[in-house]
Amino acid sequence: MKLFGWPLRAVSSLLLLLQSGALSAATRPQYGGTLRVAIRSAPATLDPSEGADENSPESRNLSRLMFDTLVTLSDSGKVQPALAVTWQEQSGGQRWQLSLRRGVKFDDGSPLTPDIVASSLRTANLGWNINSSDESVLIELPQPNPALLAELALERNSIVKRSSGTLHGTGPFHVTDWRAGQELSLVATEDYWDGRAYLDSIQIDVVNPRDQMLSLELGKANLVNILPEQARKAVMEGRRISTSPPLELMALVFSRDRQSVDDGKLRESLALAIDRISIKNVLLQGEGEPAGTILPRWLNGYDFLFSKEADLARARQQVSELRSRPSWTLGYDSGDPLARLVAERIVLNARDAGLNLQLAAGMSDVRLVRIILPSLDPWVSLMTVAKIAGLPAPKHAGDGPEDLYRAENQLLRTDRMIPLFHLPLNYGLSPAVRNWVQRQDGIWDLRNLWIASETR
Amino acid sequence: MSFRKKLLLAFALTVLLSVASIAWFVSMVTRRAFDRSDAERTQALVAQLRREFNRRGGDIARRVEAASGSEPATRMALSLGRGSIDYSVFLSEAKSVADNQQLEFLEFVDSQGIILSSAQSPAKFGYKTTSINLALPIPKDPFLAREELPEGSSLGLFAARTIKAGEKNLYAVGGKRLDREFLSSLDLPPGLRVLLYQNLASGFSTQFFVDPSGTLQHPELLVPLIQAAQQPGAEPTEVVHWSADAVDDESLHAIPLRGQDSELLSVLLVGNSRRPYIELERRIRSAAFMIGGIAILLAILLSSWVASRVTRPVERLATAARQVTAGDWNTKVEVVSEDELGELAKAFNRMTSELLAQKEHLVQTERVAAWRELARRLAHELKNPLFPLQLTVENMLRAREQRPDLFDEIFQESASTLLAEISNLKIILNRFSEFSKMPEPRFQRVDLNDLVEGVIRLFQAQLQVPAQSKIICNTELDQGLPAIGGDPDLLHKAVLNLVLNAMDAMPEGGTLTLRTCEGNSEVRLDVSDTGHGLTPEECERLFTPYYTSKQHGTGLGLAIVQSVVSDHGGRIRVESAPGKGTTFKIDLPLNMDKLSDPVRVEPVATGRT
Repeated sequence: MKLFGWPLRAVSSLLLLLQSGALSAATRPQYGGTLRVAIRSAPATLDPSEGADENSPESRNLSRLMFDTLVTLSDSGKVQPALAVTWQEQSGGQRWQLSLRRGVKFDDGSPLTPDIVASSLRTANLGWNINSSDESVLIELPQPNPALLAELALERNSIVKRSSGTLHGTGPFHVTDWRAGQELSLVATEDYWDGRAYLDSIQIDVVNPRDQMLSLELGKANLVNILPEQARKAVMEGRRISTSPPLELMALVFSRDRQSVDDGKLRESLALAIDRISIKNVLLQGEGEPAGTILPRWLNGYDFLFSKEADLARARQQVSELRSRPSWTLGYDSGDPLARLVAERIVLNARDAGLNLQLAAGMSDVRLVRIILPSLDPWVSLMTVAKIAGLPAPKHAGDGPEDLYRAENQLLRTDRMIPLFHLPLNYGLSPAVRNWVQRQDGIWDLRNLWIASETR
Repeated sequence: MSFRKKLLLAFALTVLLSVASIAWFVSMVTRRAFDRSDAERTQALVAQLRREFNRRGGDIARRVEAASGSEPATRMALSLGRGSIDYSVFLSEAKSVADNQQLEFLEFVDSQGIILSSAQSPAKFGYKTTSINLALPIPKDPFLAREELPEGSSLGLFAARTIKAGEKNLYAVGGKRLDREFLSSLDLPPGLRVLLYQNLASGFSTQFFVDPSGTLQHPELLVPLIQAAQQPGAEPTEVVHWSADAVDDESLHAIPLRGQDSELLSVLLVGNSRRPYIELERRIRSAAFMIGGIAILLAILLSSWVASRVTRPVERLATAARQVTAGDWNTKVEVVSEDELGELAKAFNRMTSELLAQKEHLVQTERVAAWRELARRLAHELKNPLFPLQLTVENMLRAREQRPDLFDEIFQESASTLLAEISNLKIILNRFSEFSKMPEPRFQRVDLNDLVEGVIRLFQAQLQVPAQSKIICNTELDQGLPAIGGDPDLLHKAVLNLVLNAMDAMPEGGTLTLRTCEGNSEVRLDVSDTGHGLTPEECERLFTPYYTSKQHGTGLGLAIVQSVVSDHGGRIRVESAPGKGTTFKIDLPLNMDKLSDPVRVEPVATGRT
């Protein structure tokens, strides 16, 4: 079963795609058709600047379909032009000037202007000083930020024209109907600056996570989200699966700072008591990788330096040496069955070590969280994770791996977080989907996707 | 207390005691019957619950049996038999099988008790199960067990089955929660309910109660019962008073439920409301009160009717008796029935007729006696003067014949003697005539004290001569005595007669006392002497005309006094005893309404008797 590790699966998926692509090479990409997508939860808002859904893959993907950012990151993490074509860094990264692409229009036909860009960026970043000129915008930051471009590539910095309560974007698709919490209908933007998509429309419906595979089987959806614990079974059943690199961090986050030395030892004992291997092999069905760091190995490269092995004997000994053993409560997302299973197992592991840990609803001492890494830029991801988890923001001292290591290590040594796993994002595809591309950061690239005609 | 009230009281007490006794008896019989019925009902319910438990247990056992024969179980057994267990493969199998068999708990465990797959706690793979102790024989029947869940402990009814896996055994342990839903599904008769106390921790906690009907109020009232049930071998029963109103009382029977190793896991409380009994008791009491009230009302009516039937004739008799006492001897009572009261009325009538006849006879007899007495007195009084008359006339005849020379002298003497005796006769006749022709009183304003003093003055000269009279005269006159209406002459005569009689009664001397005082709308005059006194027989005949105890005298003096007093509307009586003197007591009304002349006339001292 371990053969179905994510890298091999990703490769197999890619091979399948290539194969399918090769097989259908004789069939040219066809314009038209509707991609039916089943998502787990509906976004609270379509406005990317309202970062409540920052941690939602669905929200990120929907933003990418409707809006563009000034720049993007390639799969290797390199900055690519998008709505901005050139940029200049000044004052050590405290001032940035970006020139805008010409001829870009919003879905209402109005042109993209520096003023609109500046206004959109100000909405998403209240601490920035943004000015517009002829065909560029000037961004002045309170502190130098060498990683600004990576931040500008985040979905929350998408360029949005807000007019009378209506949102307009420059993305490859635009909204025709939105019933909040139920469905969203998008149609292709004909004069999209990067070329019209092959699809005519995208129909997005909210489907219970447990029922998404069924939707795929019944042909009600072309693209569904597959839970990590469903992935192996889906592969065994011969489903077409697309797997991203480990992009999701599953971790324990303490609500308060370390209170004392004993408190720190207790937290360390908990980390030692968790049997990640059993959880991965059974509860995660072999998906994901045990995590010792916040960033996955493919982002930081030094994950192996941090222990992920359970040491129950040491944990017991440490606990037995302590004067008191306070009772902790472990919270989790009640709507996430996988989180509940993992939390239950952690409780059992903790009790094996002599720790008083109980599951709880509502406020808790420790919480099991799942955080999507938002960017291929490790600094941006690290800072985003820290922000979502309520940890102190790491200092961006430099761009070298040592700087990253120091910053991440410093975060981990606060004993506020215990990384558990890095999980991939899995999607199931119907056979009709052609040219499916999922980027390294998990975002769907639907520009070249098309639906085979016999299944439209 | 009147006869009618006594009768009413007797009736009412009889009714009250009867009704109260019956009500108490009925209430006691009802209570005993209810207690018996309650005990039988509770026992029946307990038996029913045990059967229901067994039935549910049997159902669970069948489901566990089915689960143990399911394809996932078989695969698990095969894997176990091969010695290769991949927990990841069986992670969801127990849940899937449990859902199919509608079990809330299902675990597949190996012979060491290690969980291969768990429906209620999938994350417990590889851990030892807590729902069964494999060190003990596998129970064939359903059993109670405590299951440790992530959210806490929970009680359940379990069954276990063995699945052969080569040389090893796989065990399927499944069950359902003993929760509110389980208890609600029990088919209970009306008025009965069940509560479950889950003995999940030491001590007592209200949060361990499961009440299918909703939130249990005042669970602390069940503490003694729970603690009693926790004792080995005890199945106590207790009446719990949920409120101050007895209608909310409930009889609770506690059934301890033990687990595989006889550990007390829960206490099942079977409640039987005492409301029907209390309400019945109250109805009985209300009915008793109502019947008692009606009965008392009937008793009042009946007693009134009976009393009137009895007392009215008696009252009529009493009234007639009073009339007879007042002098109406001819009173008759109406005879309205033939019962004892009728006989009594007839007897009364006969009595009054007899009395009347006897009275008339007595009156006639007394009249005859009085006439005889009068004749005797007349003969006696007349004989005295007539004899000298006869002698004198004979003397005169003799003188004319024998001594004609002395005839003139003798004639003169004889004529004087004749005239004196004739005068005596006239006096005697005048006195009789006077008594027979007593005048009607002429009412005037009279001061009785003055009148008494006037009479005393008449005898003062006589009383002041000690040689002639040894009688001392005392007067005790009330100075505030009001004036009365009366005939001064007649009153003077009466007082005079009384004083003369008193003086005549004390020939050797004594004390004469005249006393006046005011009474209730009347005045009192007492005339007392310290003479020889009178016997009771003499007192009775004292006021009879012509009766006298003296050797001489007409016997009319006291009769005249009585006549005067009677004409004034008063009363006279005598108190006397031999050797103790005599007192005449006269009560005279004020008679102011009878005054004919408002001008007072002073009494005249006449000296006549």
